[in-house]
Amino acid sequence: MVTGSLFFQSLVLGILLGGLYALLAAGLTLYFGVMRVVMIAHAAFLVLAAYLAWDVHQRFGIDPLLSLIVTVPLFFLAGVGFQRLLISRLRPATVTMMSVLLTFAVALVIEGMLGFVYSGTQRRVQLSYSAASIQVFGAQVAVVKLIAFGLAALSLLALFLLLTRSRFGQALRATIQHPQAARLIGIDTDKVAGYGFGLGLATAAVGGAALSLDSTIYPSLHWHWIGPLMAIIVVGGLGSIPGAAIAAMVLGIMQSLLQLPMGTTWAQTVFYLALFATLLVRPQGFFGGRLAQRF
Amino acid sequence: MNARTALRLGCLAGVSALVLTACSGGGETGGGNPSEPIRVGISLPLTGDFSEPGKGVQRGYEAWAAAVNSTGGLLGRQVELRILDDQSNADRVVADYEQLIAQDQVDLVFGPFSTRLVVPSGRVAKEYGMLFVEPAGAAAQVFEQGFDNLFYAAPAVANDHYNHLAEAITAMPEGERPRTAAYAAMDDPFAQGTAYGLKEKLEAAGVQTVVDLVYPPNTTDFSGIAAQIANSQADVMVGGTQYQDAVNMIVALRQLGYQPKLAAFSTAPTNPEFPNAIGGATEGIVSPTGYTPEAPYPSNVDFVQRYTAQFGSPPTEDEANAYTTGQVVAAAVQAVGCAEQGDCQQRLVDWLRTATVDTVVGPLNWDAQGRPQSAHLIQQYVDGQIRIVLPKETAEAEFTYPKAPW
Repeated sequence: MVTGSLFFQSLVLGILLGGLYALLAAGLTLYFGVMRVVMIAHAAFLVLAAYLAWDVHQRFGIDPLLSLIVTVPLFFLAGVGFQRLLISRLRPATVTMMSVLLTFAVALVIEGMLGFVYSGTQRRVQLSYSAASIQVFGAQVAVVKLIAFGLAALSLLALFLLLTRSRFGQALRATIQHPQAARLIGIDTDKVAGYGFGLGLATAAVGGAALSLDSTIYPSLHWHWIGPLMAIIVVGGLGSIPGAAIAAMVLGIMQSLLQLPMGTTWAQTVFYLALFATLLVRPQGFFGGRLAQRF
Repeated sequence: MNARTALRLGCLAGVSALVLTACSGGGETGGGNPSEPIRVGISLPLTGDFSEPGKGVQRGYEAWAAAVNSTGGLLGRQVELRILDDQSNADRVVADYEQLIAQDQVDLVFGPFSTRLVVPSGRVAKEYGMLFVEPAGAAAQVFEQGFDNLFYAAPAVANDHYNHLAEAITAMPEGERPRTAAYAAMDDPFAQGTAYGLKEKLEAAGVQTVVDLVYPPNTTDFSGIAAQIANSQADVMVGGTQYQDAVNMIVALRQLGYQPKLAAFSTAPTNPEFPNAIGGATEGIVSPTGYTPEAPYPSNVDFVQRYTAQFGSPPTEDEANAYTTGQVVAAAVQAVGCAEQGDCQQRLVDWLRTATVDTVVGPLNWDAQGRPQSAHLIQQYVDGQIRIVLPKETAEAEFTYPKAPW
């Protein structure tokens, strides 16, 4: 029976889940916006970052969030290198399709490497506050979920400010809106694309650390994430960060609430139903088009 | 294929009891040459969703092969394992066994891990007329496929795992007995089988089901499931689980402040990583198990010693079931006196139908569909240690109800 308190509890959980989805999907939509790259390996990088957070905690006993000091710059550099060395070599005419194959291969390499280094054993970061929760209007809010949500909100805000307030952000948006015009006014679009990719991967570093706080991680976990994340960015409008954030929130809440009447299996299909509906009704996504270019 | 079978049949017809040495000219199958090893083909989920238990099964098989080889092998021949990785994928497991049997011409096959992989691979084994002893297909549907070559190498099928617990609950005085129960099971035949076996018995005893949820194996977020269970405030929480889902669910339940009087989860609690993964809040958690390293069966004492020396820690259930598989097949091979493809396989099957085999999980015998005819033990975390609490005859500690808060 669905009582008022269960509904409210599920709503709160849905909002927290939506926040995490928004953070994890932000990078994915950025790659597509900047370079028309479908980055299948994004979730694999998330899991990689989660493993690094776990490793740092395991080895040094420090909070996994501190791993961000190292992983964010590291992932940014890796992203720039990835774009310069691999993505930029793809022919512009077929980059979207070929990037699927290329990044699929990268995902497999990361999964294999994680299995080799850390074994297939499932790992979980064990914190003194793992099971702690606070009460908000009668709903229990787990501290780790709140931290992950806060991290997501901060990262998205930082990303938004960077894109709207800095010269690099302007150059990146110009590159997204009209690459040729951007080149004409003197923007080095190749360099910008590299930094854009780095930025996307840096969000994966943050997302991975957030994920590690409240998930059991194992090398093949990324396959369970990439599907819903892809659905989110299509629904949100490829390339639109606010679109991805709104779609993530809406789908996260829907997933959480639909579990009550329909059960988990059907609630999970909400992503794919939303994906089909979007492709049928509005292929550019609900927040794509003009909004995508405004950020 | 036909020519090869005919050759082997001719060979068998031509000799009496010492078939193996007589068949030394049996071609590339290695069907009995004492200088050639007996090759055992296995496909295991070494990567993917089941890699954790899959690797446990691999260690169990390796421990068995090492033990057999150190005592002179099977029928005087060394044993050689050929293990392929099916990536937890049902299509791959079929291709793997096809390759092992038809191309690689292994002498024997052992089963993979998980019901979802055992059923398709069992079909391949049946098609080729191979004996198929398996360590991990415990769900009811495994035994409803019409396999006449399959044997499950553990004490009991999934639906009977909680029998001793159900008996203990039913035997409680009316006032103390739990009134409500919540069930959450992975959409997996084994995991569901364990939970629903108990559900059936508790419902019959008047324990009302207040939550009954099934979630897909790729579920990553358990907070929604936990919210429904916590809201029900059920006395009993039963998880039909594998490893990571049990861990995620327990943490999510704790985050919501839910305190059941009895919490039972299949598979995960017997995993050595489990206490660390849930932050040590294990007290009172119950789990069925087909194996304990402390069991006094003679071959188990030897197994635990050897295994610990080989891998540095005592074996768990996955390793033990794999080792048991080896013991069951070895007993048949020794009794019948052959181990190759063809007619020999049917003789191995026929022998096992009526046999009782002493293993590390106790003496095993099977019904016509391959269901083992024993029972699972019930373990519970008592003072931080996992102890057998039911049935009373083999208990190492007292069954605690209600459990301490987690």
